[in-house]
Amino acid sequence: MQIYLPIAELSVNLFFLVGIGGAVGFLSGLFGVGGGFLLTPLLIFSGVPTSVAVASVTGQVVAASTSGALSHYRRGGIDLHLAMYLILSGILGAFGGVATFSILRANGQLDLVIAVGFVVLLGFVGTLMLQESVRALLKQRKGVVVRDRQPNQHSWIHGLPWRVRFKKSRLYISVLPVLLIGLFIGFVGSLLGIGGGFVMVPALVYLLRVPGNVVIGTSLAQVVAMMAATTIMHAVQSQSVDILLAFCLMVGGTAGAQFGAAAGQHLRGEQLRGLLALLVLAVAIRFGLSLVLTPSDVFSMAVAR
Amino acid sequence: MKRLWLFILALLLPVLPVQAERLVSGISNDTIQITSSFDGERLTFYGTIAPDAGSTERVVQGPFDVVVVILGPTQNRVAREMTHNFGIWLNTEQVEFKRFPSYFHVLSSKRLIEIADINLLNENYILPEAHAMAPNPAGFMKTLEFGRELIRLMSQDGLFGVQENGVQFMSDTFYSAQLTLPSSAPPGPYIAQTYVFKNGQIIARKSEGFAVRKIDFERFLAQSATQSPLLYGIACVVLALFTGWLGGVLFRR
Repeated sequence: MQIYLPIAELSVNLFFLVGIGGAVGFLSGLFGVGGGFLLTPLLIFSGVPTSVAVASVTGQVVAASTSGALSHYRRGGIDLHLAMYLILSGILGAFGGVATFSILRANGQLDLVIAVGFVVLLGFVGTLMLQESVRALLKQRKGVVVRDRQPNQHSWIHGLPWRVRFKKSRLYISVLPVLLIGLFIGFVGSLLGIGGGFVMVPALVYLLRVPGNVVIGTSLAQVVAMMAATTIMHAVQSQSVDILLAFCLMVGGTAGAQFGAAAGQHLRGEQLRGLLALLVLAVAIRFGLSLVLTPSDVFSMAVAR
Repeated sequence: MKRLWLFILALLLPVLPVQAERLVSGISNDTIQITSSFDGERLTFYGTIAPDAGSTERVVQGPFDVVVVILGPTQNRVAREMTHNFGIWLNTEQVEFKRFPSYFHVLSSKRLIEIADINLLNENYILPEAHAMAPNPAGFMKTLEFGRELIRLMSQDGLFGVQENGVQFMSDTFYSAQLTLPSSAPPGPYIAQTYVFKNGQIIARKSEGFAVRKIDFERFLAQSATQSPLLYGIACVVLALFTGWLGGVLFRR
């Protein structure tokens, strides 16, 4: 069954859209990530214009993160104070990201920057995650008890000025790294159409030493607020948010996520992280190949404004 | 003086081609509506070649050739070329074509080069290449190269095309032509130009318009996105929050 997308101005199979939404939703539920980093590339590779894919997935990420954020909120798993700092700086970063997005689109370099961005970001994060999970798995095999976190370890980050007390996270740290993380994720997330949860969570854990019980909730709350703001910015600035496309993905995604979360119960944390790392690396390699290999057609066209 | 004019006129008359034919034509639909299930649409162009209103002839003498040119709304398009730099492929050159047709199809009753001279076809914008030949600040050679590539890309997407058996004659003077407009055909005003050729010359022409329009919900969405983008964006977010919340409630995560 074909459905006509009014902003993308093309017709796509409805089951295909709901299907990839569901498949990515399943993986996002399984690994506890938003899934934007998979969905945006899938749409681009299946012919949706890059700008429409990025802007519409932004809307889908909001939906995908909402139910998780709400359930964490009910359980008290969100540090609202910390989230506020991240959200405000994130929105500021997103302003920069959306503006850059428009400029790149007009110059014909959007696809290139998105591909390079995915290769660098996913390649880096994927490699780190893979290393970490392989090390954990090896240690476990040897019978060493793995500790997720060393609470009393301090780094240079904790010596920076403008310290603020975050009660719920039991932290007394400088706001500088917090704001920088927010800015970076806002910029990259709005440019690449990803929520950035898989960057945010490690950053909160390893850089700021936010305790495990509030990491996921705080990251999700930040993703919801920041991506909501980004969706509105994309709608105003580039007018490339396709609400119908986003809705089809949301329906598939929210349903798929539930099954993914259920399936995730049967796997151990290290195994999950290892699998996620492989997935992230696969996407990075796919983008990398598209940059390096001779394209099937060196010419392309676009509608200029 | 008056006599001299009459004399000149008398000399000229046999030389001037006698425009004794006219074209009576129609299109099966004058609007094509884009709904949520829009997946392209079939159009029929038909017509008959009849003696001109003032003509004393009762029948027209063929053989005739008919060419139907369907032209979509114009857009500014850019064609870009990737080159290999520092180990990666990137867009380095581009040429912009202003007011380039977003859709262009030619249907003809036989091969275009057999119907008329290439210059005549180009002058009347019957060949796709004619649209890429407008003077361009990029320079002649580049315009030629990028124009050809742009037309190739447009043809791959089904937006440009030439069907040299697209017009069928049902009788000596009655023809019909069918066109399947793809779902990627951009909305806007379309023009169908019909040319009747005889002995390599255009003896009659007619243009008709039809519109491709988004209607109902698609129209509402597309209009809101461009006319009140802020509200549209907020609506997207509300929809996303609601869907996410509903998903959580339904599945009790």
